[in-house]
Amino acid sequence: MEGGMDFLNCLDLDMSLQILMYLKDPSDLARVSSVSRSWRDFVIANGLFKQLCLRMFPQLSRVARVMELNKCGAKEPVEVGSSYSTEWESLARNHRVYATLARVCTSFLPEDCISKAISASSTDNYPEESIENTLRPADIVPHRPLYWSSKGQKNPAVPETLIYKLKSEFCVITEIKIRPFEAYFQPGSPIYSAKSVRFQMGHPKSPNDLGSRLLGDPLPSADDTFIWTYTSPEFPMAQESCLQKFTLPEPVLCIGGILQIELLGRVQTQEVDGLFYICMSYVRVMGRPLSPALRVEILEPSGTFVLKKDMQGKFHTQPGLPENEAREIPNDRWQRRIRYLQHFVDILQGNANVVEIEEYESGEEEDEAEEEYPL
Amino acid sequence: MKFCAVKQYFDDENNNNITSGASTTMIPLPNVESHPLAILITYCKKHLKIKANNADNKKETEKEMEQYEQELLKKVMPQELTELILAANYLNFKEALDFFCRAVASAIQNKSIEFVRKFFGLESDFELGEEEKLREEFAWSFEGVDED
Repeated sequence: MEGGMDFLNCLDLDMSLQILMYLKDPSDLARVSSVSRSWRDFVIANGLFKQLCLRMFPQLSRVARVMELNKCGAKEPVEVGSSYSTEWESLARNHRVYATLARVCTSFLPEDCISKAISASSTDNYPEESIENTLRPADIVPHRPLYWSSKGQKNPAVPETLIYKLKSEFCVITEIKIRPFEAYFQPGSPIYSAKSVRFQMGHPKSPNDLGSRLLGDPLPSADDTFIWTYTSPEFPMAQESCLQKFTLPEPVLCIGGILQIELLGRVQTQEVDGLFYICMSYVRVMGRPLSPALRVEILEPSGTFVLKKDMQGKFHTQPGLPENEAREIPNDRWQRRIRYLQHFVDILQGNANVVEIEEYESGEEEDEAEEEYPL
Repeated sequence: MKFCAVKQYFDDENNNNITSGASTTMIPLPNVESHPLAILITYCKKHLKIKANNADNKKETEKEMEQYEQELLKKVMPQELTELILAANYLNFKEALDFFCRAVASAIQNKSIEFVRKFFGLESDFELGEEEKLREEFAWSFEGVDED
């Protein structure tokens, strides 16, 4: 039999589309559009890259329009000519922009995307137990536990929320990692985890709302300040003080650069006051910031947005190494730390004699004025 | 529902002609050649058989069907896939249609442009330099492609 049959020519539109819709990898679709002119025109005319992106990221359903910015950052001029050529140019632009989006969202090394903390629904002792502490792994500041603590509640059903701003207003997020705090200086070393956790992503209603505000003050009403365009399923949390990984069912586009962590259900009471608390020591949001090459502009009040591709823009530099995990403290070193700190606490409380500790590594700072941090 | 076009014919026949037996009726299928039709009939029979064997177990049915489909693909010439799609579409045989569409997509997954052109008997109709420009624009899609 000589050659095959060009299915794009032989089959009707629906069937050709059906075949090409089974291609999930953007690289396959890009190659298909380089096979011949008619195939390329078919891919452009039917917006196949846009459809691929919409299937991967339903959040894109609210794209109002697509823009390409040239080197001056100005919008590419609209072609003056027949309406057909304008429409074709628009389809071709969609093709280029969505192809780029599909590519960058499917091939990257996840990195931490948190830029800064915005607010916590409550904080017990500000600033010692501020949400800011969740941005640093524990061993950056030696001898001082870093964690956020909520206020205490009698009712364990009262939830808490932590809100963060991401590195870009347009990111693709794949998973969130959280480490609950273990209060090793309290009897029994209680772990103040939550029953379950849920994530929301969105944008501020008005960009000025975030302004300058103490992190200790919760936002008057987070739901009035932000519009959430994505809510994840609920994940159970383990009652362990390890870095727990919550992988989203599918990668999600965070449009607006704001992520909220909802901590649902309290588990641990504090012996001293019998109230339920939630405390977290470390949070990371894994994914990839897409700007400056790809950006979004949110159009209020419709909530739709403009997807912009900067033709000159590069992508946020990817780390060269595989996932740049915060250095997890090896268990034995952690144990030594705990013993070391416990010893100091004992000294301060007059419970122990000053005895030379030979266990800690040389080079570790000795902090004479160690304070006990209350919850 | 399989072979809906044929079933339609039966239904029409039964409505029009109460006495004549189905075995003597000729059903014209002008758009289907005998070879793809034979494959489709075999596919259909196999599907019904597997379904009957695994009456309640949907997962088992799917698994067995998948195994059969893999075997079938080995015997079918890639170029025949388009004919099979046309036949399945004409006969309104949804499962077979989905399967063969998926098969075509799988056949071109991670393959080079040259492979795809050869597979479908296509020539490049790009102007000089056009293809180079595309290869540059989509350079990322040409990495890690299967060897031809």
